[in-house]
Amino acid sequence: MKIATYWRDPGTRAAFWDGVRDTIAVVPSYLPFALVCGVASVNAGLTTSAAVALPALVFAGSSQAVLTQFIQSSASIWVAIFSGCVINLRMAVYSAALSPKVRQFSTRHRMAIAAFLVDNSFAFMQKRELANPKDPHLIAYYAGLTAVFWPTWLLFCVIGIFAGNIVPANWQLEFAIPLSFMAILVGSVRNLPMAAAALVGGLASIVLFALPLKLGLIVACLAGLMAGLMTEKGALLWTARKAG
Amino acid sequence: MDSTQSWIVVLGLAVGTFLIRYSFIGLFANRTMPPWLDHALKLMVPAIFAAIVFGGVVMMGGQVAGLTHWPRYAAAALALVAAVASRGSMLVTVVVGMAALHGLPWLVSMA
Repeated sequence: MKIATYWRDPGTRAAFWDGVRDTIAVVPSYLPFALVCGVASVNAGLTTSAAVALPALVFAGSSQAVLTQFIQSSASIWVAIFSGCVINLRMAVYSAALSPKVRQFSTRHRMAIAAFLVDNSFAFMQKRELANPKDPHLIAYYAGLTAVFWPTWLLFCVIGIFAGNIVPANWQLEFAIPLSFMAILVGSVRNLPMAAAALVGGLASIVLFALPLKLGLIVACLAGLMAGLMTEKGALLWTARKAG
Repeated sequence: MDSTQSWIVVLGLAVGTFLIRYSFIGLFANRTMPPWLDHALKLMVPAIFAAIVFGGVVMMGGQVAGLTHWPRYAAAALALVAAVASRGSMLVTVVVGMAALHGLPWLVSMA
C-alpha cells in the first residue's frame, strides 16, 4: 500500500498529529543530552562529518555516548562498536513487541519503521496502547513521534558538535552524561532484582576497568545480570519459606 | 582518530543497531522472543546503565578520581536525590547535578 492511501484516512492523520504533539512536549527533556552527546563526540576525536552521521544513522543517545567514551579511552574500534551494540540490545525487546503490529506492511516499510525505533517512542506507544489496546493507527502515531524526534535529536547533536570547541573544558559538560543515565536508571528500575543488577553492574564496572581491551563494561553487564538472577532466586526462596 | 576509523565506528554501530532494531520486526518476524532472552535483557539494561553512571562519575581521563575531586561525588549524590524526587526527570537531574558540581566548590571557597 502507498503511504498516500494511509494518509487519506482521517484517523491516521489524527494519530500522526497526536504523535507530533506528544514529542514536542518532551523536547526539553532530551535537549541537554543531545547537546552533550554532540560535544562528547567531537571531543573524543571523531571527524566532524562522522560526528554528524552518528546521531543521524544510529539515533540512540546512550550508545552514541558509550561509543564516544570508548573512543576517548582509546579502546580498539571493534570493542567500541561491540559495546555500543550491547547497549542497544534492549531494542530487540521493542522490536519483538512491535512485530505483530507491522505484519501488514511491506519489507521496505518495516525496515523504515525499525530504523527509528528508540526508547522514547516505544514508551509513548506503550502508553497509547494501554489507553486503547486495539488502536489501528499505532504506526501512524509512531510516524508522528519520529517526525519530531529524529530531526530535533539530530539538530541538537549538531549544535553540540559545533559548540564543542566553544564550550570551555572546565565546564565539565561530559559530567552530564552519567547524570542523564542516572535519571533513566531511576525512572526504569522497577523491582529489587533490577536494583541489584544495577548496583552490582555499576560497582563491577569500576573494579574491572583495567580489564584488557576495555571489556569491563561487558563483564559488568554480565555480573549485573547474575546478581539480578540470584536476587530473584533469593526472593523466591524467601517467599517459599514464609509460605511453608 | 582519522577519517577512515571515524567512519568505521559510526557505520559499524549504525549497522549493528539497525540489525537489532530490525531483528523481530523483519529478520525473525515469524518467531517470538524466547522468554529467557527477554528476561535477561530486562536485567542487563539497568546493569549497563549503572556501569555508565559509575564510570562517568568515578573515572576521569582513565584514572579513578581521587578525593580532591569531591565535588563529583557530592554532585552525583545530590543528583541521585533529585532523580528519585523527580521520578527520573532527566532535565531536573542534569540541572541539579551540574549546578552542584560547579556551585559546591564555589560555596566552599566563599566559606
